[in-house]
Amino acid sequence: MDLQYSPADEEFRDEVRTFLEENLTPELRRAGRLATSVYHDHEASMKWQEILRRRGWAAPGWPVEHGGCGWTASQHYIFSRESTIAGAPALSPMGIKMVAHAIIKFGTEEQKEYFLPRILTGEVFFCQGYSEPESGSDLASLAMQAVDDGDDLVCTGSKIWTTHAGEANWMFALVRTTRGPKKQQGITFVLVDMKSPGIEVQPLVMTSGEQIQNQVFFDQVRIPKKNVIGQIDDGWTVAKYLLEFERGGSPASAKLQVQLDEIAQAAANRPGPNGPLLDDPLFAVKLADLRIRCDVLEVLEYRNLARLSEGKNPGTASSLLKIINTELSQDITVLALEAAGPQGLAYQPHATMPGGPVHDHSPPQDGYVSGEAWQAVAPLHYFNDRAGTIYAGSNEIQRNILAKAELGL
Amino acid sequence: MDFTLSAEQSELRSTVSSFLRKRYELEPSRSAARSSIGWQPEIWQAFAEEIGILAATLPEEVGGDGGGAVETMVIAEELGRALVVEPFVSTVVLGAGLLRRAGGSKARAVLEGIASGRERVALAIDEPDSYPSGYEVATSATRAGDEWVLTGTKTMVGDAPLATRLLVVARTSGERRDPAGLSLFLLDFDASDLPADVKVHSYRTIDDRWAADIEFRDVRLPAEALLGEADHAGSLLDPAMDEATAAVCAEAVGLMRKVFADTVAYAKERRQFGQPIGSFQALQHRMVDMHIELERSVSAAYLATLRLGDAPDQRARAVSAAKVTLSRAAKFIGENAVQLHGGMGMTQELAVGHFFKRLTAIQAEYGDADFHRVRYARLSDHRSRAATGEAGVRSGAVAVG
Repeated sequence: MDLQYSPADEEFRDEVRTFLEENLTPELRRAGRLATSVYHDHEASMKWQEILRRRGWAAPGWPVEHGGCGWTASQHYIFSRESTIAGAPALSPMGIKMVAHAIIKFGTEEQKEYFLPRILTGEVFFCQGYSEPESGSDLASLAMQAVDDGDDLVCTGSKIWTTHAGEANWMFALVRTTRGPKKQQGITFVLVDMKSPGIEVQPLVMTSGEQIQNQVFFDQVRIPKKNVIGQIDDGWTVAKYLLEFERGGSPASAKLQVQLDEIAQAAANRPGPNGPLLDDPLFAVKLADLRIRCDVLEVLEYRNLARLSEGKNPGTASSLLKIINTELSQDITVLALEAAGPQGLAYQPHATMPGGPVHDHSPPQDGYVSGEAWQAVAPLHYFNDRAGTIYAGSNEIQRNILAKAELGL
Repeated sequence: MDFTLSAEQSELRSTVSSFLRKRYELEPSRSAARSSIGWQPEIWQAFAEEIGILAATLPEEVGGDGGGAVETMVIAEELGRALVVEPFVSTVVLGAGLLRRAGGSKARAVLEGIASGRERVALAIDEPDSYPSGYEVATSATRAGDEWVLTGTKTMVGDAPLATRLLVVARTSGERRDPAGLSLFLLDFDASDLPADVKVHSYRTIDDRWAADIEFRDVRLPAEALLGEADHAGSLLDPAMDEATAAVCAEAVGLMRKVFADTVAYAKERRQFGQPIGSFQALQHRMVDMHIELERSVSAAYLATLRLGDAPDQRARAVSAAKVTLSRAAKFIGENAVQLHGGMGMTQELAVGHFFKRLTAIQAEYGDADFHRVRYARLSDHRSRAATGEAGVRSGAVAVG
């Protein structure tokens, strides 16, 4: 047993570090540092994706013949960890990390040829159409009607919690083609051109004031059958396959450690009851507790990584890690808000780089910010991060999964 | 990154576990613990002669097998799973850890005795007026010609009533709170046959182990009772205490594995309202939270164990992270195991109650969660630390942007 990277991994890590140092501009790092949620500034993300594409690292998880890197599980982990620590903007997970895997596994040659290269260049940018107003945790109950009409499916209904629907030109969606006794049957996985007539995107304003999520309305939208992935009525198979990628083992601990470092640095320069806030024993202990949870999460991730490296399925570990990292992340946003002090109550999205347009806010003409940018980020991040325990299968659903699959209850 | 045991380590695990399954039952061990003897000497002898765990982690030159931190973890976890009360951590991890570092022929002889099962060692460090684990020592040892004169009172000296030797931490210079100026003395000990200048009050602990308060009244010790260098016991104590802390973390993992498995099994069997209580979502989620605490604990015990060989600050930081994690988990899992067993969990009829008591005691051993939180916080301050880039020790080191 050991907690060391192999020499080959260390060499790879150095290569990644050098690349990041040479290519991450201060503007790009700013997008990571001033982000108010898991959704980083769209423009910065796309710029970074293009830099990665030129290096051949935009889609490392794809099969090599489609532009992947053929990395080992630990190389993927190292790349992701180092990118986060260096402050690289996060790429949208919907295209490269999700729908592309469905296309690679279930798509036709024509679909692969059209979509994969365009996803890489950003010419095609996907959003996800899974949840519906009446189908959240119970996803398989989804009801968006898709009527068979010759070469097309004609869709009517609505999708909700669609991140980046405004920026996206394509959506991957689950639609109801057949209603039967078993709700998982009769679902079809389709790719939808967002320019199709009958689609209307309505932004949802989040508590933070940002428009990141949307509701997308479908009125008699025609989807050519050539845009079905897999078989008609068998979309649940595709969706289940993708769930592995949605919850899959990317390292959350690195991002959280960076946030804790930033809190510590800020607290060293903030007034506390008796000298710097960092020297307040109560604050120091809260910070220590979160760091300890983070250190332990990192080892949990390594254990998962070790299982993946042996070619084993992550099993229920992805549910476990999702619960641990989202709950820890939320607690970190609480401490950041506390560290921000009175300025944490000022609503100043103009000092941040939000994940979408901000609703009903006019920045002051002189650009004035009370306090520092991180203090403006703190409350927005706190509000937005409440989503962590809700999305990608709420933590209650994850606990149901663990109770059944891990504990046999 | 490698979390697999070597073939020898796996073999060790199965040897210990199968011995304990066959030979270590809860009822006789409780009876022994509550008797005047307080433990099962024949089990200890079997540990030495049949499964070799008293020698497994000792150096080869004293008759050991040269095992390291991972071997200690494997053994301690299995002992925890069987709720073994015999003094493995205090003798083989802490006692031997101190003796090994001190060196010298006397220490060597005791180490040989530990390996063969003849010797048991207790460390006398905490005092009635000292902050636990804080090295706050008023007990003094002063030179008188060729001898040392030891005076003071020690409290909660774990396993002392069964020990054959005491390791006593005494002040040889400096003020009471001074981290320097401490020395380590080795004394022959037999709680049933004491000289007039040593007074011992033995008592059972809440988890059915034994401890003692010991008073030294101008006890005259020969020069060779001093282990290592005078005034420098801290350099022996720091690493040995961290090793012992990592070992009780592993023991706690074993304890929690057992009570958690019992709890899940009970929830599947016990029926109320016409169905197993494990079918209720409130209880399912509680058990999942126990599972999460257990998985975090396993990772934390690995972190502590695998960092024992690192530089002192990194080692201490990992060990403190682990003890904080384990203490929290021990409380959560212990209390909820009782809760889910209902009224039966309150009795001595089931194993869960006995495990709960050990899980309660272990939270305070070798520094409670607050002690380790504060130590961790001090070691994590980025203003005084350099970047390392290694797992579990990186945070606080990187400036972003």
